[in-house]
Amino acid sequence: MALLEVHGLSTFFHLRSGVVRAVDDVSFEIERGQTVGIVGESGSGKSVTCYSLLRLIHEPGRIEGGQVLFNGEDLLKVSEARMREIRGGKISMIFQDPMTSLNPFLRISTQMVEALALHSDLNEKAALRKAISALEEVGIADAEKRIHGYPHEFSGGMRQRVMIASALITEPDVLIADEPTTALDVTIQAQILDLIKDRQERLGTAVILVTHDLGVVAGNCDRVNVMYAGRVVESGTTEQIFYDPKHAYTQALQKAIPSLQMKGDLLYTVPGMPPDLGKPITGCAFYPRCPYPKIAEPDGAPPELIVLSEGHCVQDCHYCDRSKPIEAVLTKDVPEARE
Amino acid sequence: MTTKAETSRRDDFLVLDNVSQHFDRGKRFLTGESKGVVKAVDNVSLTVREGEILGLVGESGCGKTTLSRTIMQIIRPTSGRIFLEGKELSSLPDHEIRRERINFQMIFQDPYASLNPRMTVYDALAEAIRTRHPDVRGQKLRQRVVELLVRVGLSPSQMKKYPHEFSGGQRQRVAIARALAPEPKLIIADEPVSALDVSIQSQILNLLKKLRADMGLTMIFISHDLSVVRYIADRIAVMYLGRIVELGDAETIVDDPLHIYTRALMSAIPQPDPRLERSRQRVVLEGDPPSPLNPPSGCSFWPRSPVPHDERMKTVEPELAEIKPGHFAANCPFCLETAA
Repeated sequence: MALLEVHGLSTFFHLRSGVVRAVDDVSFEIERGQTVGIVGESGSGKSVTCYSLLRLIHEPGRIEGGQVLFNGEDLLKVSEARMREIRGGKISMIFQDPMTSLNPFLRISTQMVEALALHSDLNEKAALRKAISALEEVGIADAEKRIHGYPHEFSGGMRQRVMIASALITEPDVLIADEPTTALDVTIQAQILDLIKDRQERLGTAVILVTHDLGVVAGNCDRVNVMYAGRVVESGTTEQIFYDPKHAYTQALQKAIPSLQMKGDLLYTVPGMPPDLGKPITGCAFYPRCPYPKIAEPDGAPPELIVLSEGHCVQDCHYCDRSKPIEAVLTKDVPEARE
Repeated sequence: MTTKAETSRRDDFLVLDNVSQHFDRGKRFLTGESKGVVKAVDNVSLTVREGEILGLVGESGCGKTTLSRTIMQIIRPTSGRIFLEGKELSSLPDHEIRRERINFQMIFQDPYASLNPRMTVYDALAEAIRTRHPDVRGQKLRQRVVELLVRVGLSPSQMKKYPHEFSGGQRQRVAIARALAPEPKLIIADEPVSALDVSIQSQILNLLKKLRADMGLTMIFISHDLSVVRYIADRIAVMYLGRIVELGDAETIVDDPLHIYTRALMSAIPQPDPRLERSRQRVVLEGDPPSPLNPPSGCSFWPRSPVPHDERMKTVEPELAEIKPGHFAANCPFCLETAA
């Protein structure tokens, strides 16, 4: 049994204008010490998936079904009191913007000691000592003094270090990192990712890394789930996803990034926009944007995930002809590409 | 709309001569001692050629945005001179500068914040067109709006819509159309694709490239994403703490940088290729960029420099020098030595 298993997780938002199926039948698992990446565009359901794991969904959102098995315990069924023990204790989360996730009115020390007071039986002095050493471990110089500072006294990169230190202070089994470096410069991003990796190696933490940057995924993840319109469209090891992508969306996404090696005339584009999740989707959600020649009208339920090879799953879509290599298909499509 | 592509191009289209932008933080109450000066832009000399896209890269707080605002004379430079097509802007009085500013247009990162939510696309574009041609109205004005929309890949039927009715990518197209409307001489694009998803980002980059080819636009493209800049720019200027530390052809800067800071910046970009990622040679920088309030003396890079250096690095002020033909770098012996 894996450390964390997610089966058929669905989270819908019930708005006046209709039901938005933000996360629809998402399944994945993660082992101790592993890093699993979730990639996708904004609105594809990456963050809602993470919030759902910790039951941080508020009205009008509702977790509609599925299982989140953490050490065999279904987190969607346990009491709120038990959930509070797990949240921030065994499963921690860090967010994109460290300024909004740290309380600007409280000293760093207060916020870090609070986490320890809830999840351990250390007294205040010992908790403060532990917090200071946690800050030192993430490379904050003069931690003994700086811990009494307020969040605004820290730079963006420093604040994200503080977030990581407080998320890891309870030595969680799972760390959920929701776009942890998106707001940071590349140089600082490299420092932060190294830091997460280093802590992970030392503590054996499993990391769920949510990002839209395929470069970050390539360097940090063991497995990748590609999400589109609330569903996982492809899942596999990092090598499988990067060197043998099977879903048209995964393929097109990779072709659309300007990499450092190329300086062509035109970039490949994925025409159109992601679908409106408030409207029912028949068949494949990517169908309207799919670059492959269409061979059938989409109908019925979304395509099932099928296992291609050991650990590699993809949505089994047969509305488009995927026999040709994607390069040929995209080159033909590019000049007319319009939103 | 005139096409500049065919006419002869001048190399000294925009010239910055030792431009500095220092913000004085004032004096302390009673004691009267100075609170210090923030050197946001310090002694920048730069030439932009007509019809070129100049990429401006650097970490946050390095002065990219302040430099672009100084070029447009939104904030007048504290020292140095700025010329557009040979005309000195920095010495013009304020009332004349307003008329010149029509030659500069900006495209911002967040198109939702930069478009007026209460103006339809038609209103926004018509207003921008009339800043240059105040007497165009009626059918003629409508015709120009339609032309602009088509140029940026939007349908003319969308011109009565409000910004919130568009997606992020479409909104950025509207923002681009509005920047083109007054027929500017120079467009400054400040992180125009950073807020967009990868699949939309490539659409906008293709559009900017196409517009440049069709209309001969001159553009300063500010971004922290080097792979995007390398793709779109002809030349790249790398800024650090208010100064340009390296300047050259886009490919040369990315593939064969001279300055250690540029190398560190390049090596920090994660590549979307797992095998390449695992073998990537990294130049790791320590800590954050220092504050421009009290910038380090000498070569301001020394507190973060990963290469061995001695006291000379802290005392000798480097200058931008042409190391190879067309390739300039701050000539700090320690920062350059390792690159050779």
